[in-house]
Amino acid sequence: MIISIVGLSVGILLGMICPLDIPVAYSRLFSVALIAALDSVFGGIRADMDGKFDNTIFLSGFVVNALLAAVLVYLGDQLGMDLYMVALIAFGLRVFQNLAIIRRYMLDKKTN
Amino acid sequence: MLNKIGDVINPENQNRIGLAFVSMVLGLLLTLQFRATLVQKESLPFQRIEELSARLIDTEKERDNLRAALREVTERQEMESRAANVADLEMTAGLVGLTGPGLVITIDDSKKTAKTGENMNLYVIHDEDILRVVNELRAAGAEAISLNGQRLTANSEIRCAGPTMSVNNVRSAAPFEIIAIGDSGTLENALKMRGGVVDTLKVWGIQMAISPRTSVQVPPFNGPSPFRHAKPVPKEELTKAKGAGKTAGGNAQ
Repeated sequence: MIISIVGLSVGILLGMICPLDIPVAYSRLFSVALIAALDSVFGGIRADMDGKFDNTIFLSGFVVNALLAAVLVYLGDQLGMDLYMVALIAFGLRVFQNLAIIRRYMLDKKTN
Repeated sequence: MLNKIGDVINPENQNRIGLAFVSMVLGLLLTLQFRATLVQKESLPFQRIEELSARLIDTEKERDNLRAALREVTERQEMESRAANVADLEMTAGLVGLTGPGLVITIDDSKKTAKTGENMNLYVIHDEDILRVVNELRAAGAEAISLNGQRLTANSEIRCAGPTMSVNNVRSAAPFEIIAIGDSGTLENALKMRGGVVDTLKVWGIQMAISPRTSVQVPPFNGPSPFRHAKPVPKEELTKAKGAGKTAGGNAQ
């Protein structure tokens, strides 16, 4: 939990410093990548609390999910369909699920 | 090496280097997206931009297509009108044979014999007689006239050359056959008008047969181009020198 917050802060700092700008054309791709990363982080925290966190599964999950999302965005652009919505909704649902589980763990800790 | 790092980093946390990395990526993306959204908020919404640019591209494509179509149509029209113009000019210049309703007029010398002491010339057809007939035909709206197979053009002469008549520099003798295309009724009436050409020529016994036909043929003028001295004046100069000088077509016979 703490390590992820530290990573987040470092990332935000990097983002402030680095002069990179997202081109308007790739804005969708980046939003999907963002939600994929969010999903991965929450999944990781939850797995950590479960006590079965595995670095390989975690990283490969992040990469594969992000790739699939990117493919969906590209395909959607070619077909004229908002396919990236699929990725957004799927990731969003999982974020909420994971958040619910994390919340329960933390409540359990408090009551104990 | 590995041990040293393991010492520095808590072994429980060593596992979660990936978590830290992905968190970092998340933070990076969050800030980038945040900044990008800030920029977008200042301008039109992104989707609107995309929609507008797509529409612009479509419209430009349509405009190009329409422009090409317009060019094609104007070119075709120009060519058509030019062809029509050329055909008209060729007909006027006598470069093409023409057919249509009209008159065939045959004129021959008088059979009367000249009385003694009278001028024999009065009983023979002269260029003036033919000219009067032709002039009358033109006045009555004849569109094309030929004399003994010679098309009368703007530059044609009708002139006595000894006992023969010279038209387009080609000589022929009586009888003369004039073919005129036009409204045959009007042409005939113009000639037979009281006190007109036919009346005058009849006095001298000159024979004149007029036969209206539903279809007559006038041959084309097939001599060389009559222009050897005259050159066209550009239109701008012509308007400048309006009335200053006549542009007379050279009578290059």
